[in-house]
Amino acid sequence: SRPPSHNIVPTSLILCATYHSEGHSGQYYTLPPTHIQKLFPYGLPPRFQLQIKTFNEGCVMVRPPALELISYLKRADYSKPPLRYVLYGDIGTGKTMSLCHALHYCYSQGWLIVHVPDAHLWVKNCKELLPSSSRPSRFDQPIQASQWLKNFKITNERFLSKLKTTQRYVWTKRESTEKGQPLGELIDQGVNRMKSSSDVVGAVLRELRLQAGGATEGEGAFKLAVAVDGVNALWGKTSLKKEDRTMCEPEELTLIHNLRKMMKNNWSGGAILTALSQTGSVFKPRSAYLPSELLGEEGFDNMEPFVPVSVSNYNEKEFESCYLYYLDRNWLQHPHSRSEEGKKELIFLSNKNPSILERLCAFL
Amino acid sequence: MAASVRHLLKPWTPSLCLVRWSRYNPYYLDPDPSKDARVPESELSPEEKELQELKTVSPIKAALSSDTSSAFNDPLISKFINMMMQDGNKILARGIMTQTLETIKRKQVEKYHKSPAAKREEIECNPYTVFHQALENCKPIIGLASVQKGGKSYQVPVPLTDNRRRFLAMKWLITECRDNKHRRTHMYEKLSQELLAAFANEGNVVKRKHDLHKMAEANRAYAHYRWW
Repeated sequence: SRPPSHNIVPTSLILCATYHSEGHSGQYYTLPPTHIQKLFPYGLPPRFQLQIKTFNEGCVMVRPPALELISYLKRADYSKPPLRYVLYGDIGTGKTMSLCHALHYCYSQGWLIVHVPDAHLWVKNCKELLPSSSRPSRFDQPIQASQWLKNFKITNERFLSKLKTTQRYVWTKRESTEKGQPLGELIDQGVNRMKSSSDVVGAVLRELRLQAGGATEGEGAFKLAVAVDGVNALWGKTSLKKEDRTMCEPEELTLIHNLRKMMKNNWSGGAILTALSQTGSVFKPRSAYLPSELLGEEGFDNMEPFVPVSVSNYNEKEFESCYLYYLDRNWLQHPHSRSEEGKKELIFLSNKNPSILERLCAFL
Repeated sequence: MAASVRHLLKPWTPSLCLVRWSRYNPYYLDPDPSKDARVPESELSPEEKELQELKTVSPIKAALSSDTSSAFNDPLISKFINMMMQDGNKILARGIMTQTLETIKRKQVEKYHKSPAAKREEIECNPYTVFHQALENCKPIIGLASVQKGGKSYQVPVPLTDNRRRFLAMKWLITECRDNKHRRTHMYEKLSQELLAAFANEGNVVKRKHDLHKMAEANRAYAHYRWW
């Protein structure tokens, strides 16, 4: 329907993220719309979602950090405990997008995806903070938990009937989930009964941890990809207050507690992909971007050992590719921006930072 | 030479004191921030040569901090931003303007990508041309002035200067968006809707312009009451 631009990867390579290599660095590849609907109901950055809506397609640039991550995923040994990958970098350099690229690779390989689009949303602006039904000193967040369960269901539908629970869970006097029930039922329980949804999340994560090691090859075996954006929220401070007006610790929130257990490498058969984020964080200075600064002492000790992957601004080739993509999609409208001098001005104003360039080109 | 120039550089008051006047001596020239290349001597006409001479000698007013030498600088957009600004909050006004341009572009580019190839050339995607054209469509050609004659005041049709027409168009756009739209929509959303409607010669602002024209046409009998 449209003539192929020289820097957009041809159709045959669209679905096969396995074939992305260093030679494709700087080129764009299209995410199929069905995949976007299923895999990223809330996962993509909001400005990228706007871009998908405007251009009627979702194109992601293939960049070295994502390629590095995918090559590690290809070569890892999945009988050993999972490796933790941490994407770090300055604001607006493309950490979330690289994470989504790697996650799309995992999805196309048939892994089970556990994706927390932004952990910061669980530690701030919570309208309903209920004291936990199961443990006295914990707090539940029913809205966030049920929202996450709904998204999990959309992404991993085909696994829900295959996986079975390994123990009996009792929610209230009259409700319980028996051993051997399909996981789908557990999730429906959490979505329908909001009061126990945070505990259901914990139960689901526990089941996945136990079964990811994948007993036998064949039907039951699956690889688990845990992707968390904004990991520094798990070990930072919250902006939530308890009823006696004291600050809430992240440890006291059920969702955070269960997610922390997921981050430990005491299970096998998967990978943990994370990205740090300063933009949504609470009580962190804007200039902090290194893992030690954002994770803090406690976070760093918990996450160690991890594989750090640095994400930086565009280099000349990537900037050129981005500029040509915007020209191709009829996005750069101002006549001066299409000239050589305008391009130099864009380089100067944005310093080749992906997000600033995107915001500049939006109104030019 | 120096003595004759010196009296012009002293503090100056106009002979007739108006309410809004520039404190600069009229001898001062306006700054020209554009970076156009110097045209060689041979291609200039004698008037232009004189103008160039004058520019090298005479003093120039101070440039505004919102003017840039980049080609992205648009005087019409700057004027609109100044008119939208409240309490001196230029950053907010400029932010609203950029968001408006972005919204216009998004709507048009989305329409462009979803339409078949035949209709694509008719869709104007450049938000700057949309803005300029919409403003042109909102400018009234003739205005009304109140003239007192024999104890009664009449609405007399009167020609308008270019500046007045531009001012009226911008004022109507801004007041329309501030007053007559739903309370919970953002200003950039309201502005983009109004600008796209004006671009297509529809919408409340163009209707207001047409009403003014009709009033002027209805009152054409009083046109001779104008003495200027």
